[in-house]
Amino acid sequence: MLELKLVNFKNYEDLRVSFSPQLNCFVGMNGMGKTNLLEAIYYLCMTKSNFGTNDRQMVRQGADFFRIEGNFAEQDKVVAKVIPGKQKKFERNDVAYDRLLEHIGEIPVVMIVPDDTQLVSEGSEERRRFIDNTLSQLETGYLKMLMTYNKVLKQRNAALKGMGKSGYYDDQLIQAYNGQLLAPADFIYQARKKFIAEFLPVFQRFYRVISNDAEQVAGVYVSKLENDSLENLLRENEQKDRILQRTTAGIHRDDLKFIIGGNPLRKFGSQGQLKSFVLALKLAQFEFLKQQKEKKPLLLLDDIFDKLDRYRVAQLIGLLLDQDFGQIFITDTHENRLEKIVEQYATNYRKFTVENGKII
Amino acid sequence: MNFSSTLIEEAVMAFTALPGIGKKTALRLVLHLIDQPGQTSEQFSEAIVKMRRNIKHCSICHNVSDAEICAICTSPKRNSQIVCIVETIRDVMAIEATGQFNGVYHVLGGVISPIEGVGPDDLNIESLEKRVHDKKVKEVIMAISPTIEGDTTIFYISKKIKDSGVNISTIARGISFGGELEYADELTLGRSIATRLPYQDTDK
Repeated sequence: MLELKLVNFKNYEDLRVSFSPQLNCFVGMNGMGKTNLLEAIYYLCMTKSNFGTNDRQMVRQGADFFRIEGNFAEQDKVVAKVIPGKQKKFERNDVAYDRLLEHIGEIPVVMIVPDDTQLVSEGSEERRRFIDNTLSQLETGYLKMLMTYNKVLKQRNAALKGMGKSGYYDDQLIQAYNGQLLAPADFIYQARKKFIAEFLPVFQRFYRVISNDAEQVAGVYVSKLENDSLENLLRENEQKDRILQRTTAGIHRDDLKFIIGGNPLRKFGSQGQLKSFVLALKLAQFEFLKQQKEKKPLLLLDDIFDKLDRYRVAQLIGLLLDQDFGQIFITDTHENRLEKIVEQYATNYRKFTVENGKII
Repeated sequence: MNFSSTLIEEAVMAFTALPGIGKKTALRLVLHLIDQPGQTSEQFSEAIVKMRRNIKHCSICHNVSDAEICAICTSPKRNSQIVCIVETIRDVMAIEATGQFNGVYHVLGGVISPIEGVGPDDLNIESLEKRVHDKKVKEVIMAISPTIEGDTTIFYISKKIKDSGVNISTIARGISFGGELEYADELTLGRSIATRLPYQDTDK
Protein backbone atom coordinates (compact mmCIF):
# COMPACT_ATOMS: atom_id res chain seq x y z
CA MET A 1 0.00 0.00 0.00
CA LEU A 2 1.50 3.27 -1.11
CA GLU A 3 -0.97 5.73 0.29
CA LEU A 4 -3.94 5.87 2.64
CA LYS A 5 -6.64 8.55 2.76
CA LEU A 6 -9.20 8.74 5.51
CA VAL A 7 -12.27 10.93 5.86
CA ASN A 8 -14.30 10.85 9.08
CA PHE A 9 -12.90 7.48 10.08
CA LYS A 10 -12.84 7.14 13.87
CA ASN A 11 -10.83 10.10 15.18
CA TYR A 12 -9.47 11.06 11.74
CA GLU A 13 -11.29 13.91 10.07
CA ASP A 14 -9.14 14.15 7.02
CA LEU A 15 -5.86 12.31 6.62
CA ARG A 16 -3.55 11.56 3.76
CA VAL A 17 -0.39 9.56 4.35
CA SER A 18 2.22 7.81 2.20
CA PHE A 19 3.95 4.64 3.31
CA SER A 20 7.24 2.85 3.02
CA PRO A 21 6.93 -0.39 1.04
CA GLN A 22 8.76 -2.22 3.80
CA LEU A 23 8.26 -1.10 7.38
CA ASN A 24 5.99 1.57 8.85
CA CYS A 25 5.88 2.47 12.52
CA PHE A 26 3.10 4.47 14.16
CA VAL A 27 4.17 5.84 17.53
CA GLY A 28 2.23 7.95 20.01
CA MET A 29 0.46 7.91 23.34
CA ASN A 30 -2.53 5.72 24.13
CA GLY A 31 -5.82 6.83 22.62
CA MET A 32 -4.24 8.97 19.92
CA GLY A 33 -5.41 6.79 17.02
CA LYS A 34 -2.54 4.45 16.16
CA THR A 35 -4.66 1.33 16.15
CA ASN A 36 -7.34 3.17 14.16
CA LEU A 37 -4.89 3.41 11.27
CA LEU A 38 -4.33 -0.33 11.30
CA GLU A 39 -8.06 -0.86 11.56
CA ALA A 40 -8.66 1.35 8.52
CA ILE A 41 -6.23 -0.73 6.48
CA TYR A 42 -7.82 -3.94 7.71
CA TYR A 43 -11.30 -2.65 6.91
CA LEU A 44 -10.26 -1.79 3.39
CA CYS A 45 -9.10 -5.38 2.85
CA MET A 46 -11.81 -7.31 4.70
CA THR A 47 -14.81 -4.96 4.45
CA LYS A 48 -15.24 -5.08 8.19
CA SER A 49 -13.49 -4.40 11.48
CA ASN A 50 -11.03 -6.83 13.01
CA PHE A 51 -12.59 -6.17 16.41
CA GLY A 52 -16.19 -6.76 15.42
CA THR A 53 -16.90 -3.04 15.73
CA ASN A 54 -20.00 -2.06 13.77
CA ASP A 55 -19.89 0.56 11.04
CA ARG A 56 -21.76 3.14 13.08
CA GLN A 57 -18.99 3.18 15.66
CA MET A 58 -16.37 3.76 13.00
CA VAL A 59 -17.74 7.11 11.96
CA ARG A 60 -16.11 10.16 13.52
CA GLN A 61 -18.35 11.75 16.13
CA GLY A 62 -20.69 14.25 14.55
CA ALA A 63 -20.28 12.89 11.01
CA ASP A 64 -22.69 10.60 9.19
CA PHE A 65 -20.36 8.76 6.81
CA PHE A 66 -16.76 7.66 6.46
CA ARG A 67 -14.49 7.00 3.54
CA ILE A 68 -11.27 5.00 3.29
CA GLU A 69 -9.11 5.09 0.21
CA GLY A 70 -6.00 3.02 -0.34
CA ASN A 71 -3.63 3.10 -3.26
CA PHE A 72 -2.05 -0.31 -3.41
CA ALA A 73 -0.02 0.26 -6.53
CA GLU A 74 0.24 2.93 -9.17
CA GLN A 75 -2.91 1.71 -10.88
CA ASP A 76 -4.68 -0.07 -8.07
CA LYS A 77 -7.07 1.84 -5.87
CA VAL A 78 -9.64 0.59 -3.36
CA VAL A 79 -12.25 2.90 -1.89
CA ALA A 80 -14.75 2.18 0.88
CA LYS A 81 -17.70 4.57 1.16
CA VAL A 82 -19.89 3.87 4.13
CA ILE A 83 -23.03 5.61 5.38
CA PRO A 84 -24.00 3.38 8.31
CA GLY A 85 -27.48 1.92 7.95
CA LYS A 86 -27.81 3.33 4.44
CA GLN A 87 -24.95 2.52 2.15
CA LYS A 88 -21.82 0.42 2.14
CA LYS A 89 -19.92 0.50 -1.10
CA PHE A 90 -16.51 -0.83 -2.07
CA GLU A 91 -14.90 0.24 -5.31
CA ARG A 92 -11.82 -1.13 -7.02
CA ASN A 93 -10.38 1.28 -9.55
CA ASP A 94 -13.68 3.17 -9.61
CA VAL A 95 -15.76 0.06 -10.31
CA ALA A 96 -18.14 -0.84 -7.50
CA TYR A 97 -18.40 -4.44 -6.33
CA ASP A 98 -21.84 -6.02 -6.65
CA ARG A 99 -21.23 -8.00 -3.51
CA LEU A 100 -18.75 -7.11 -0.81
CA LEU A 101 -17.56 -10.69 -0.45
CA GLU A 102 -16.05 -10.51 -3.92
CA HIS A 103 -13.47 -8.14 -2.51
CA ILE A 104 -12.44 -10.29 0.45
CA GLY A 105 -9.14 -12.02 -0.29
CA GLU A 106 -8.23 -9.64 -3.11
CA ILE A 107 -5.80 -7.92 -0.77
CA PRO A 108 -4.79 -10.48 1.84
CA VAL A 109 -4.15 -9.15 5.33
CA VAL A 110 -3.15 -10.44 8.77
CA MET A 111 -3.64 -8.32 11.87
CA ILE A 112 -1.97 -9.16 15.16
CA VAL A 113 -3.41 -7.48 18.26
CA PRO A 114 -3.09 -7.95 22.04
CA ASP A 115 -6.69 -9.29 22.10
CA ASP A 116 -5.56 -12.30 20.09
CA THR A 117 -5.10 -14.23 23.32
CA GLN A 118 -8.90 -14.58 23.24
CA LEU A 119 -8.22 -17.28 20.67
CA VAL A 120 -7.21 -19.43 23.58
CA SER A 121 -9.10 -17.98 26.52
CA GLU A 122 -12.52 -17.50 24.90
CA GLY A 123 -15.02 -20.00 23.50
CA SER A 124 -14.81 -21.96 20.27
CA GLU A 125 -16.36 -19.11 18.26
CA GLU A 126 -13.05 -17.21 18.26
CA ARG A 127 -11.17 -20.21 16.94
CA ARG A 128 -13.73 -20.86 14.21
CA ARG A 129 -13.43 -17.20 13.29
CA PHE A 130 -9.68 -17.64 12.89
CA ILE A 131 -10.14 -20.60 10.54
CA ASP A 132 -12.96 -18.90 8.63
CA ASN A 133 -10.98 -15.68 8.30
CA THR A 134 -8.08 -17.54 6.70
CA LEU A 135 -10.20 -19.67 4.39
CA SER A 136 -12.40 -16.76 3.33
CA GLN A 137 -9.35 -14.92 2.11
CA LEU A 138 -8.30 -17.95 0.10
CA GLU A 139 -11.58 -18.91 -1.48
CA THR A 140 -14.69 -16.85 -2.13
CA GLY A 141 -16.64 -20.09 -2.43
CA TYR A 142 -15.90 -20.90 1.19
CA LEU A 143 -17.34 -17.64 2.44
CA LYS A 144 -20.41 -18.08 0.27
CA MET A 145 -21.02 -21.56 1.67
CA LEU A 146 -20.50 -20.31 5.20
CA MET A 147 -22.98 -17.50 4.71
CA THR A 148 -25.54 -19.88 3.24
CA TYR A 149 -25.08 -22.26 6.15
CA ASN A 150 -25.44 -19.48 8.71
CA LYS A 151 -28.56 -18.08 7.06
CA VAL A 152 -30.28 -21.47 6.95
CA LEU A 153 -29.21 -22.11 10.54
CA LYS A 154 -30.71 -18.80 11.66
CA GLN A 155 -34.01 -19.62 9.96
CA ARG A 156 -33.99 -23.11 11.46
CA ASN A 157 -33.41 -21.72 14.95
CA ALA A 158 -36.11 -19.09 14.47
CA ALA A 159 -38.47 -21.84 13.33
CA LEU A 160 -37.62 -23.97 16.39
CA LYS A 161 -38.28 -21.01 18.63
CA GLY A 162 -41.59 -20.24 16.93
CA MET A 163 -42.65 -23.87 17.24
CA GLY A 164 -41.70 -23.87 20.91
CA LYS A 165 -43.98 -20.91 21.45
CA SER A 166 -46.95 -22.22 19.51
CA GLY A 167 -46.51 -25.79 20.71
CA TYR A 168 -46.98 -27.16 17.19
CA TYR A 169 -43.92 -28.97 15.86
CA ASP A 170 -43.75 -28.93 12.08
CA ASP A 171 -41.43 -31.81 11.30
CA GLN A 172 -41.52 -31.19 7.56
CA LEU A 173 -40.27 -27.64 7.90
CA ILE A 174 -37.35 -28.82 10.04
CA GLN A 175 -36.65 -31.51 7.46
CA ALA A 176 -36.57 -28.81 4.80
CA TYR A 177 -33.93 -26.90 6.75
CA ASN A 178 -31.96 -30.07 7.43
CA GLY A 179 -31.82 -30.75 3.72
CA GLN A 180 -30.50 -27.27 3.04
CA LEU A 181 -27.75 -27.54 5.66
CA LEU A 182 -26.17 -30.75 4.38
CA ALA A 183 -24.26 -29.58 1.32
CA PRO A 184 -22.78 -26.39 2.84
CA ALA A 185 -21.88 -28.24 6.05
CA ASP A 186 -20.02 -30.93 4.17
CA PHE A 187 -18.16 -28.38 2.06
CA ILE A 188 -17.11 -26.40 5.13
CA TYR A 189 -16.11 -29.50 7.08
CA GLN A 190 -13.90 -30.77 4.27
CA ALA A 191 -12.31 -27.35 3.76
CA ARG A 192 -11.58 -26.88 7.47
CA LYS A 193 -10.16 -30.37 7.83
CA LYS A 194 -7.86 -29.93 4.87
CA PHE A 195 -6.81 -26.51 6.10
CA ILE A 196 -5.84 -27.66 9.60
CA ALA A 197 -3.78 -30.52 8.21
CA GLU A 198 -1.82 -28.20 5.93
CA PHE A 199 -1.59 -25.35 8.41
CA LEU A 200 -0.25 -27.33 11.35
CA PRO A 201 3.34 -27.86 10.17
CA VAL A 202 3.65 -24.17 9.26
CA PHE A 203 2.42 -23.21 12.71
CA GLN A 204 4.75 -25.64 14.48
CA ARG A 205 7.71 -24.22 12.61
CA PHE A 206 6.90 -20.68 13.73
CA TYR A 207 6.35 -21.73 17.31
CA ARG A 208 9.78 -23.36 17.40
CA VAL A 209 11.41 -20.14 16.24
CA ILE A 210 9.50 -17.87 18.62
CA SER A 211 9.81 -20.05 21.70
CA ASN A 212 13.38 -21.13 20.99
CA ASP A 213 12.32 -24.69 20.44
CA ALA A 214 10.69 -25.27 23.81
CA GLU A 215 7.69 -27.62 23.70
CA GLN A 216 5.74 -29.62 21.17
CA VAL A 217 2.56 -27.86 20.14
CA ALA A 218 -0.44 -28.89 18.09
CA GLY A 219 -3.92 -27.88 17.02
CA VAL A 220 -6.59 -30.55 16.71
CA TYR A 221 -9.73 -30.00 14.68
CA VAL A 222 -12.76 -31.22 16.58
CA SER A 223 -16.00 -31.72 14.69
CA LYS A 224 -18.93 -34.05 15.21
CA LEU A 225 -18.96 -34.55 11.47
CA GLU A 226 -15.78 -36.58 11.90
CA ASN A 227 -17.74 -39.69 12.86
CA ASP A 228 -21.20 -39.17 11.50
CA SER A 229 -23.06 -37.40 8.73
CA LEU A 230 -24.89 -34.19 9.57
CA GLU A 231 -28.08 -35.86 8.42
CA ASN A 232 -27.78 -38.45 11.19
CA LEU A 233 -26.61 -35.91 13.73
CA LEU A 234 -29.61 -33.68 13.12
CA ARG A 235 -31.93 -36.65 13.43
CA GLU A 236 -30.31 -37.87 16.66
CA ASN A 237 -30.52 -34.42 18.21
CA GLU A 238 -34.10 -33.73 17.16
CA GLN A 239 -35.57 -33.96 20.65
CA LYS A 240 -32.75 -31.92 22.14
CA ASP A 241 -33.16 -29.23 19.49
CA ARG A 242 -36.89 -29.09 20.16
CA ILE A 243 -36.40 -28.59 23.88
CA LEU A 244 -33.52 -26.11 23.63
CA GLN A 245 -35.10 -24.39 20.61
CA ARG A 246 -31.85 -24.20 18.73
CA THR A 247 -29.65 -26.40 16.57
CA THR A 248 -27.24 -28.32 18.77
CA ALA A 249 -25.14 -30.17 16.18
CA GLY A 250 -23.34 -28.95 13.11
CA ILE A 251 -20.23 -27.20 11.91
CA HIS A 252 -21.23 -24.13 13.92
CA ARG A 253 -20.10 -26.11 16.96
CA ASP A 254 -16.67 -27.12 15.60
CA ASP A 255 -13.59 -26.34 17.65
CA LEU A 256 -9.86 -26.23 17.35
CA LYS A 257 -8.16 -27.65 20.45
CA PHE A 258 -4.74 -26.27 21.23
CA ILE A 259 -2.21 -28.62 22.78
CA ILE A 260 1.11 -27.85 24.41
CA GLY A 261 3.47 -30.58 25.61
CA GLY A 262 0.60 -33.06 25.32
CA ASN A 263 -1.77 -31.01 27.51
CA PRO A 264 -4.56 -28.52 26.78
CA LEU A 265 -2.98 -25.08 26.41
CA ARG A 266 -5.84 -23.32 28.15
CA LYS A 267 -5.20 -25.14 31.41
CA PHE A 268 -1.51 -25.87 31.28
CA GLY A 269 0.04 -22.99 29.36
CA SER A 270 1.78 -20.10 31.12
CA GLN A 271 1.03 -16.50 30.11
CA GLY A 272 4.27 -16.39 28.18
CA GLN A 273 3.57 -19.62 26.37
CA LEU A 274 0.08 -18.42 25.56
CA LYS A 275 1.36 -15.23 23.98
CA SER A 276 4.00 -17.04 21.94
CA PHE A 277 1.44 -19.60 20.86
CA VAL A 278 -1.00 -17.00 19.58
CA LEU A 279 1.71 -15.01 17.86
CA ALA A 280 2.95 -18.14 16.11
CA LEU A 281 -0.63 -18.87 14.99
CA LYS A 282 -0.96 -15.45 13.42
CA LEU A 283 2.44 -15.49 11.76
CA ALA A 284 1.68 -18.94 10.43
CA GLN A 285 -1.59 -17.57 9.07
CA PHE A 286 0.45 -14.96 7.27
CA GLU A 287 2.85 -17.54 5.85
CA PHE A 288 0.01 -19.84 4.84
CA LEU A 289 -1.86 -17.09 3.01
CA LYS A 290 1.37 -16.05 1.33
CA GLN A 291 2.07 -19.58 0.09
CA GLN A 292 -1.45 -20.26 -1.09
CA LYS A 293 -2.10 -16.92 -2.74
CA GLU A 294 1.45 -16.42 -3.97
CA LYS A 295 1.07 -12.86 -2.80
CA LYS A 296 2.31 -11.30 0.42
CA PRO A 297 -0.45 -10.22 2.79
CA LEU A 298 -0.18 -6.89 4.58
CA LEU A 299 1.00 -7.47 8.12
CA LEU A 300 -0.52 -5.25 10.83
CA LEU A 301 1.13 -5.52 14.25
CA ASP A 302 -0.68 -3.71 17.03
CA ASP A 303 1.18 -3.05 20.25
CA ILE A 304 3.69 -5.83 19.77
CA PHE A 305 5.53 -5.13 23.04
CA ASP A 306 2.45 -6.30 24.84
CA LYS A 307 3.22 -9.80 23.69
CA LEU A 308 6.97 -9.90 23.82
CA ASP A 309 9.90 -8.43 25.68
CA ARG A 310 12.52 -6.26 24.03
CA TYR A 311 14.78 -9.10 23.10
CA ARG A 312 11.99 -11.12 21.53
CA VAL A 313 10.72 -8.13 19.58
CA ALA A 314 14.19 -7.63 18.13
CA GLN A 315 14.28 -11.30 17.23
CA LEU A 316 10.84 -11.13 15.67
CA ILE A 317 11.55 -8.05 13.59
CA GLY A 318 14.76 -9.68 12.45
CA LEU A 319 12.75 -12.72 11.42
CA LEU A 320 10.11 -10.69 9.64
CA LEU A 321 12.53 -8.62 7.65
CA ASP A 322 14.88 -11.53 6.95
CA GLN A 323 12.14 -13.62 5.46
CA ASP A 324 10.80 -10.70 3.50
CA PHE A 325 7.37 -10.39 5.01
CA GLY A 326 6.40 -7.73 2.55
CA GLN A 327 4.86 -4.59 3.92
CA ILE A 328 4.54 -4.26 7.69
CA PHE A 329 2.72 -1.75 9.89
CA ILE A 330 3.58 -1.59 13.60
CA THR A 331 2.27 0.53 16.47
CA ASP A 332 4.02 1.30 19.75
CA THR A 333 3.57 3.74 22.60
CA HIS A 334 7.28 4.42 23.10
CA GLU A 335 8.83 6.56 20.48
CA ASN A 336 12.39 5.32 20.75
CA ARG A 337 12.02 1.73 21.85
CA LEU A 338 10.83 0.55 18.47
CA GLU A 339 13.07 2.81 16.46
CA LYS A 340 16.23 1.50 18.05
CA ILE A 341 15.36 -2.04 17.18
CA VAL A 342 14.09 -1.25 13.73
CA GLU A 343 17.16 0.74 12.75
CA GLN A 344 19.31 -2.34 13.09
CA TYR A 345 17.32 -4.33 10.57
CA ALA A 346 15.24 -2.27 8.24
CA THR A 347 16.66 -0.63 5.19
CA ASN A 348 13.49 1.14 4.25
CA TYR A 349 11.31 2.32 7.09
CA ARG A 350 9.20 5.30 8.02
CA LYS A 351 8.15 6.53 11.43
CA PHE A 352 4.89 8.42 11.97
CA THR A 353 4.05 10.23 15.18
CA VAL A 354 0.34 10.08 15.82
CA GLU A 355 -1.39 12.70 17.91
CA ASN A 356 -5.12 13.22 18.25
CA GLY A 357 -6.14 11.98 14.85
CA LYS A 358 -3.28 13.66 13.04
CA ILE A 359 0.13 12.58 11.89
CA ILE A 360 2.77 15.14 12.82
CA MET B 1 -42.55 22.91 2.74
CA ASN B 2 -45.07 25.65 3.36
CA PHE B 3 -48.40 25.24 1.59
CA SER B 4 -50.76 28.20 1.39
CA SER B 5 -53.68 25.81 1.59
CA THR B 6 -54.54 22.99 3.95
CA LEU B 7 -56.47 21.36 1.11
CA ILE B 8 -53.32 21.07 -0.93
CA GLU B 9 -51.37 19.94 2.10
CA GLU B 10 -53.80 17.12 2.76
CA ALA B 11 -53.69 15.97 -0.85
CA VAL B 12 -49.89 16.04 -0.84
CA MET B 13 -49.83 13.97 2.35
CA ALA B 14 -52.17 11.44 0.75
CA PHE B 15 -49.84 11.01 -2.21
CA THR B 16 -46.71 10.71 -0.09
CA ALA B 17 -48.29 7.72 1.67
CA LEU B 18 -47.69 5.81 -1.57
CA PRO B 19 -44.43 3.95 -2.11
CA GLY B 20 -41.77 5.76 -4.12
CA ILE B 21 -43.42 9.17 -3.89
CA GLY B 22 -41.77 11.97 -1.97
CA LYS B 23 -43.06 15.40 -1.11
CA LYS B 24 -41.86 17.10 -4.27
CA THR B 25 -43.35 14.50 -6.60
CA ALA B 26 -46.58 14.58 -4.60
CA LEU B 27 -46.79 18.34 -4.94
CA ARG B 28 -46.21 18.11 -8.68
CA LEU B 29 -49.05 15.63 -9.01
CA VAL B 30 -51.39 17.77 -6.94
CA LEU B 31 -50.60 20.93 -8.91
CA HIS B 32 -51.14 19.00 -12.12
CA LEU B 33 -54.59 17.93 -10.94
CA ILE B 34 -55.43 21.55 -10.09
CA ASP B 35 -54.59 22.56 -13.66
CA GLN B 36 -56.88 19.87 -15.05
CA PRO B 37 -60.69 20.11 -15.08
CA GLY B 38 -62.34 18.87 -11.88
CA GLN B 39 -63.65 15.86 -13.75
CA THR B 40 -60.18 14.37 -14.05
CA SER B 41 -59.74 14.28 -10.31
CA GLU B 42 -63.18 12.83 -9.81
CA GLN B 43 -62.59 10.05 -12.29
CA PHE B 44 -59.23 9.41 -10.73
CA SER B 45 -60.53 9.08 -7.19
CA GLU B 46 -63.57 7.12 -8.30
CA ALA B 47 -61.39 4.59 -10.09
CA ILE B 48 -59.32 4.07 -6.99
CA VAL B 49 -62.27 3.78 -4.62
CA LYS B 50 -64.09 1.43 -6.97
CA MET B 51 -61.01 -0.72 -7.42
CA ARG B 52 -60.35 -0.95 -3.73
CA ARG B 53 -63.98 -1.66 -2.85
CA ASN B 54 -64.51 -4.39 -5.42
CA ILE B 55 -61.17 -6.12 -5.80
CA LYS B 56 -61.14 -9.69 -4.56
CA HIS B 57 -58.70 -12.51 -4.23
CA CYS B 58 -59.52 -15.52 -6.34
CA SER B 59 -60.78 -18.31 -4.11
CA ILE B 60 -58.83 -20.88 -6.09
CA CYS B 61 -55.44 -19.35 -6.86
CA HIS B 62 -55.39 -16.23 -4.59
CA ASN B 63 -54.57 -13.99 -7.52
CA VAL B 64 -56.32 -10.59 -7.61
CA SER B 65 -59.68 -10.82 -9.29
CA ASP B 66 -62.84 -8.89 -10.11
CA ALA B 67 -65.01 -11.89 -9.37
CA GLU B 68 -65.00 -14.72 -6.86
CA ILE B 69 -62.87 -16.73 -9.28
CA CYS B 70 -60.30 -14.97 -11.46
CA ALA B 71 -60.24 -14.74 -15.23
CA ILE B 72 -57.30 -17.11 -15.54
CA CYS B 73 -58.92 -19.86 -13.47
CA THR B 74 -62.25 -19.58 -15.33
CA SER B 75 -60.75 -19.40 -18.82
CA PRO B 76 -61.54 -22.56 -20.79
CA LYS B 77 -58.40 -22.01 -22.84
CA ARG B 78 -56.10 -22.55 -19.88
CA ASN B 79 -54.85 -25.96 -18.89
CA SER B 80 -55.90 -26.42 -15.28
CA GLN B 81 -53.80 -29.56 -14.94
CA ILE B 82 -50.62 -27.52 -14.78
CA VAL B 83 -50.26 -25.25 -11.76
CA CYS B 84 -47.49 -22.68 -11.49
CA ILE B 85 -46.65 -21.75 -7.90
CA VAL B 86 -45.48 -18.16 -7.38
CA GLU B 87 -44.75 -15.91 -4.43
CA THR B 88 -46.76 -12.83 -5.30
CA ILE B 89 -49.31 -11.38 -7.68
CA ARG B 90 -46.53 -9.49 -9.39
CA ASP B 91 -44.92 -12.79 -10.37
CA VAL B 92 -48.20 -13.82 -12.04
CA MET B 93 -48.09 -10.63 -14.08
CA ALA B 94 -44.44 -11.19 -14.98
CA ILE B 95 -45.06 -14.73 -16.20
CA GLU B 96 -48.24 -13.70 -18.04
CA ALA B 97 -46.22 -11.05 -19.83
CA THR B 98 -43.99 -13.75 -21.32
CA GLY B 99 -46.95 -15.39 -23.04
CA GLN B 100 -45.20 -18.74 -22.58
CA PHE B 101 -47.44 -20.29 -19.97
CA ASN B 102 -50.87 -21.72 -20.59
CA GLY B 103 -51.60 -23.31 -17.23
CA VAL B 104 -53.03 -21.81 -14.06
CA TYR B 105 -51.42 -20.26 -10.98
CA HIS B 106 -51.24 -20.55 -7.23
CA VAL B 107 -50.12 -17.45 -5.35
CA LEU B 108 -48.45 -18.27 -2.01
CA GLY B 109 -48.30 -14.73 -0.68
CA GLY B 110 -44.59 -14.94 0.21
CA VAL B 111 -41.95 -17.45 1.23
CA ILE B 112 -41.25 -19.24 4.51
CA SER B 113 -39.04 -17.10 6.74
CA PRO B 114 -39.41 -17.66 10.49
CA ILE B 115 -37.06 -14.75 11.15
CA GLU B 116 -39.58 -12.42 9.53
CA GLY B 117 -42.34 -14.22 11.37
CA VAL B 118 -43.63 -15.95 8.24
CA GLY B 119 -44.34 -19.63 8.82
CA PRO B 120 -46.00 -22.15 6.49
CA ASP B 121 -49.37 -21.35 8.06
CA ASP B 122 -49.13 -17.74 6.95
CA LEU B 123 -48.92 -18.77 3.31
CA ASN B 124 -51.52 -20.31 1.00
CA ILE B 125 -50.04 -23.77 1.28
CA GLU B 126 -52.99 -25.64 2.74
CA SER B 127 -55.26 -24.58 -0.12
CA LEU B 128 -52.57 -25.72 -2.55
CA GLU B 129 -52.42 -29.15 -0.96
CA LYS B 130 -56.18 -29.45 -1.24
CA ARG B 131 -56.09 -28.30 -4.79
CA VAL B 132 -53.50 -30.86 -5.76
CA HIS B 133 -55.23 -33.69 -3.92
CA ASP B 134 -58.81 -32.92 -5.02
CA LYS B 135 -58.45 -31.78 -8.58
CA LYS B 136 -56.67 -33.55 -11.33
CA VAL B 137 -53.40 -31.66 -11.27
CA LYS B 138 -50.69 -33.35 -13.28
CA GLU B 139 -47.80 -31.01 -12.87
CA VAL B 140 -46.75 -28.35 -10.41
CA ILE B 141 -44.13 -25.81 -11.48
CA MET B 142 -42.26 -24.03 -8.72
CA ALA B 143 -41.55 -20.52 -9.98
CA ILE B 144 -40.03 -19.27 -6.72
CA SER B 145 -37.01 -16.99 -6.22
CA PRO B 146 -33.70 -18.85 -6.00
CA THR B 147 -32.96 -17.65 -2.47
CA ILE B 148 -32.43 -19.63 0.72
CA GLU B 149 -36.00 -18.88 1.82
CA GLY B 150 -37.28 -19.79 -1.63
CA ASP B 151 -35.46 -23.12 -1.50
CA THR B 152 -36.93 -23.86 1.92
CA THR B 153 -40.40 -23.15 0.58
CA ILE B 154 -39.92 -25.38 -2.47
CA PHE B 155 -38.55 -28.18 -0.29
CA TYR B 156 -41.43 -27.85 2.16
CA ILE B 157 -44.19 -27.78 -0.45
CA SER B 158 -42.73 -30.68 -2.41
CA LYS B 159 -42.76 -32.81 0.75
CA LYS B 160 -46.38 -31.90 1.35
CA ILE B 161 -47.69 -32.73 -2.11
CA LYS B 162 -45.38 -35.48 -3.26
CA ASP B 163 -47.68 -38.27 -1.99
CA SER B 164 -50.36 -37.26 -4.45
CA GLY B 165 -48.11 -38.44 -7.27
CA VAL B 166 -48.05 -35.08 -9.00
CA ASN B 167 -45.05 -34.17 -11.14
CA ILE B 168 -42.98 -31.44 -9.52
CA SER B 169 -40.66 -29.20 -11.51
CA THR B 170 -38.85 -25.92 -10.89
CA ILE B 171 -38.08 -23.18 -13.34
CA ALA B 172 -34.58 -23.46 -14.81
CA ARG B 173 -31.85 -21.52 -13.08
CA GLY B 174 -28.77 -20.44 -14.89
CA ILE B 175 -27.21 -18.12 -17.38
CA SER B 176 -29.56 -15.35 -18.37
CA PHE B 177 -30.43 -14.85 -22.01
CA GLY B 178 -28.07 -12.36 -23.63
CA GLY B 179 -25.65 -12.75 -20.72
CA GLU B 180 -21.99 -13.57 -21.15
CA LEU B 181 -20.45 -16.55 -19.39
CA GLU B 182 -17.45 -14.57 -18.27
CA TYR B 183 -19.60 -12.31 -16.14
CA ALA B 184 -21.80 -14.99 -14.59
CA ASP B 185 -21.06 -15.65 -10.93
CA GLU B 186 -19.44 -18.99 -10.11
CA LEU B 187 -22.45 -20.39 -8.30
CA THR B 188 -24.76 -19.78 -11.26
CA LEU B 189 -22.26 -20.98 -13.82
CA GLY B 190 -21.43 -24.09 -11.78
CA ARG B 191 -25.08 -24.90 -11.44
CA SER B 192 -25.72 -24.33 -15.12
CA ILE B 193 -22.99 -26.81 -16.01
CA ALA B 194 -24.25 -29.37 -13.52
CA THR B 195 -27.85 -29.10 -14.69
CA ARG B 196 -27.08 -28.73 -18.39
CA LEU B 197 -29.75 -29.49 -20.95
CA PRO B 198 -29.76 -31.67 -24.06
CA TYR B 199 -29.31 -29.50 -27.12
CA GLN B 200 -32.34 -29.03 -29.30
CA ASP B 201 -32.32 -27.54 -32.74
CA THR B 202 -35.51 -25.74 -31.96
CA ASP B 203 -34.03 -23.95 -28.96
CA LYS B 204 -34.32 -20.30 -29.52
